[in-house]
Amino acid sequence: MANPAADKHHDDHHGIAHVASLKVLLGTWILLMILTVATVGATKVDFGPSTNLAIAMFIAVIKATLVVLFFMHLFYDKLFHTVLIVAGVLALALFVGFTLMDSNQYQESIQWNYTVPADPPPAP
Amino acid sequence: MTAGHDHHAPHGPGSGHDDHGDHGTHPPGIQHHYDDAQHQFDSGKLGIWFFLAQEVLFFSALFVAYVLYRHHRPEIFAYAHHYLDVKWGAINTGVLIVSSLSAAWAVRCAQLAQRRGLILCLSITLVCACGFLAIKYIEYTHKIHEHILFGKKFDPCVSSGGQHLLTNGDHCPGTKRSACRAADVDLRPDQPGWQVACKVKETTPTGTRELPVCEMEAHHHGPAHAANPPCWEISQNPWVCKAGDFNGTPGVAALVHYGDHALRGSSTKIELECDAAKAPPTPDYAADLPVVGGLGQGTFQPKQKLSDHDLGVQRSMGPPPEHTNMFFSIYFCMTGLHGIHVLAGVIVCIWLLIRAVKGHFTPQYFGPVDYFALYWHLVDLIWIFLFPLLYLIH
Amino acid sequence: MSTGNPNVSYFEASHGIKNWLYTLDHKRIGLMYLFGILTALMIGGAFALLVRIELMAPGETIVGPETYNRLFTLHGAVMVFLVIIPGVPAALGNMILPIQLGAPDVAFPRLNLFSFYLWCTGAACLLLSIVFGAIDTGWTFYTPYSLGGDHTPVMLAIGGAFLLGFSSIFTGLNFLVTIHKFRPQGMGWFQMPLNLWALYATALMQVLATPVLGITLLLLFMEHFLHIGIFDPTLGGDPVLFQHFFWFYSHPAVYIMIVPAMGVISDVLTTFSRKPIFGYRFIAYSSVSLALLSFLVWGHHMFVSGQSKLANMVFSALTFTVGIPAAIKVFNWTATLYKGDIRLKTPMIYALSFLILFTIGGLTGLFLAILSTDVHLHDTYFVVAHFHYVMMGSGLVAFLCGLHYWWPKFTGRMYPERIAQVCAVGVFIGFNLTFLPQFVMGSRGMPRRYWDYDPEFAIFHQISTIGAIILGISMFTQVIYLMASFKIGKKAPKNPWGASTLEWDAPSPPTLYNFPEPPEVHEIYEYDDIVEESPDNWVRVNRKGTGTKAEH
Repeated sequence: MANPAADKHHDDHHGIAHVASLKVLLGTWILLMILTVATVGATKVDFGPSTNLAIAMFIAVIKATLVVLFFMHLFYDKLFHTVLIVAGVLALALFVGFTLMDSNQYQESIQWNYTVPADPPPAP
Repeated sequence: MTAGHDHHAPHGPGSGHDDHGDHGTHPPGIQHHYDDAQHQFDSGKLGIWFFLAQEVLFFSALFVAYVLYRHHRPEIFAYAHHYLDVKWGAINTGVLIVSSLSAAWAVRCAQLAQRRGLILCLSITLVCACGFLAIKYIEYTHKIHEHILFGKKFDPCVSSGGQHLLTNGDHCPGTKRSACRAADVDLRPDQPGWQVACKVKETTPTGTRELPVCEMEAHHHGPAHAANPPCWEISQNPWVCKAGDFNGTPGVAALVHYGDHALRGSSTKIELECDAAKAPPTPDYAADLPVVGGLGQGTFQPKQKLSDHDLGVQRSMGPPPEHTNMFFSIYFCMTGLHGIHVLAGVIVCIWLLIRAVKGHFTPQYFGPVDYFALYWHLVDLIWIFLFPLLYLIH
Repeated sequence: MSTGNPNVSYFEASHGIKNWLYTLDHKRIGLMYLFGILTALMIGGAFALLVRIELMAPGETIVGPETYNRLFTLHGAVMVFLVIIPGVPAALGNMILPIQLGAPDVAFPRLNLFSFYLWCTGAACLLLSIVFGAIDTGWTFYTPYSLGGDHTPVMLAIGGAFLLGFSSIFTGLNFLVTIHKFRPQGMGWFQMPLNLWALYATALMQVLATPVLGITLLLLFMEHFLHIGIFDPTLGGDPVLFQHFFWFYSHPAVYIMIVPAMGVISDVLTTFSRKPIFGYRFIAYSSVSLALLSFLVWGHHMFVSGQSKLANMVFSALTFTVGIPAAIKVFNWTATLYKGDIRLKTPMIYALSFLILFTIGGLTGLFLAILSTDVHLHDTYFVVAHFHYVMMGSGLVAFLCGLHYWWPKFTGRMYPERIAQVCAVGVFIGFNLTFLPQFVMGSRGMPRRYWDYDPEFAIFHQISTIGAIILGISMFTQVIYLMASFKIGKKAPKNPWGASTLEWDAPSPPTLYNFPEPPEVHEIYEYDDIVEESPDNWVRVNRKGTGTKAEH
């Protein structure tokens, strides 16, 4: 069981799995930190509530993609693993979408703090 | 799906098993029912990806609840997020991202047989995780102390803008629950963004004293009836007034803030008791208050229209909208569940660290480190979404 | 992996209670699951019989209304969470899946044992809730009713169900990886037995849907424990949200119950018709499409719960599509039977019962998918009859089918065939007597979960109760003779049914690592080279006609 030397020529044809290169790891990390600063900074400017939310989510999705592709090696990994995580996210989207569609429809008919009217006195 | 080790030779005793548990042709760490290290690693990896997909679904219901409540009750979210300190949230995000880097690096070290590097990286991950939990502890204890909690326990001493509030319980210094009193004020409708400012005074047998200013939003539920002093249904927390509550108890008045959506198109009358000796609390609003030490009538004009942002800030000075506790139910559930996952990660990381020190991991056997790192990245991922959703609402 | 003597049967491979409690052998784990599940079946069945006896006559027969509410709730909770959901996957799947793959074990044996202990702990919590006053909310725990009342039994029951959910998730995860990674050379995806396709589809649902149950129960637990208010309207919450969360899991859950059952039936029908399965790929694809489509239809449980009209229409339309893969399977199975050499052994009787009962159950589901009729039928006995036809008449019947089919393989004993056939017929007759009248009275307005009723329904209830008693006797007798067969059953040959899948090449019972020598992977569902060597003993001959039977 020869242990390969700790050099940078290790690739996934010789080892059990792909070895992440330091450049990729550190690069991803720096990008993530920059994006974090960006997302906090974006809230200082008022673009309106929906736009601010959209910007925040857009940045979050980019960060998430970076983490998934490079930290979690999905870029170099089997396609089926990507299918799995996408399936999970799709199920989540389905869940959110249908439930939101339904709850949207019945919001107007909700009566908050509804008190049941007292029964009228029995007729004599 | 037919490449690599998806097919393997069926097993029997000829492939290295015997009844003494001798490893035979298998290297240490590789279990018997696997062909070889690659087979075990690939199986474990597939297993952990299925587990991660499952974790996404585990958090899903909380995201559904978040989306629903934010969509239907945006005012709650706009108000309540001011209670959260963006600084701590951002630091936590940074901490988790660093720990993600060190976890990914730890896997690399294990693959390259860099034992010292592995131990260092796992330690950094552990320290960052503990740091995350420590910051969470700080945030949570602050909220518990201020009674900014979920459900009926939501009874904050201060508004999200920092003003003192009247609370339901008697747990905050300087505030007190009081009875309601009707007052009459002739207000101009269709004047968005202006504010009536008065003082609250309580008259007791021992004298008169001033209570902290409490601003509430009024919801008009019908025309005023001069005969029956109307009580406007006023925002729930911390003070609920309903029809019939006004009993003429002297000394305490209701302060009213009319937001731009409350009064549009309607004309209203509200009674206030104001202290003409004191100036309105904020210089942005001029109030011509021909009020003399008792029931008074006044017309109010805005001196300056508030921007959306300032409106938001002003609203955050007032009492919370009804059901603001829902925000915190969701906040505590999401961050709490996430925190439990971080804690589980801490425990696993300690176990891995011990094993790393003992030298269990080799380039042929580093599965546990890799799987932990994948789990840890997912924990980071979830926080990447939680941070803007909870802390960065605008 | 388990240690022990690999050359003898897995029963003999090691001795002592510790070697069972700490075993990593999937067969031992499967057997322990089986004992637990059969015990839970008896408990749930006892609750059912009490319910049916109470309903013999209007008014109080043996218990009052409060107790009655607890009885049907417990019947539902025990049967759903402890028997039917784990049933085929955990007991039969654990035992047979690796052997059908020619593998020595599942991918993660320690996780498998952990799943079993989660099941035990969850079952204990659920049953412990009885001691603390028992739940009366119905097995669905709908808010806001379930938010009130005594907290302890509800929290215990929810906690138990939460653990059972994770048991299910980990079992599913194990099966998925095993099927991906432990198929032998020569067994591609389309050379697998259909039972494995079904277990794969089930495992997909287990892994993706059950976590939603987990979080729902966790939130409900938090509601009780801390009053967080997510489902509590007095605090601003939305009780209908609970139903969305609950049914997002619980609809795939019912497919978790039926899809593995269909897998068993696929294997059994072809064996006892001595004909290749008709439409292999269609059945395989329909299993997976059932798994995927099951996620789209949960709202059909909420048609009258305050769900919006738009959502109602969308879910109703989607529910129709879900019947298509199920129907495809029924057509293919029927075509398999056509011109087959039918042998009416006990597993076959159950399989044929399944075909009839599943057809009835599936068709009555369509009545409930239609919005207009569902408004009339929701929360009546029609629904009760429908789901019993699919969960019990199909799910449990298939479980019994698989149990009898594989009993010789994993115990090494034959069960008594005649008695078993009588019991199988008894189950069929008892079941129909119990539930057919319920369709009628449901459509005439008899509500479900009601302790009392109008005398016009009495005759239906009485027939139903008589059927339930016949059913109970048949089930109980089975447990008796199955347990007895361990001691007094005839020793089983390798392949008593002349079946063609890989597990029948292992000894009966299998050795510790399933196969003493690596099995030869051959084509499945082909019967030309399987001949009857002696009564009830089939062997595979090779093309040259010499037997390959070898005694180990």
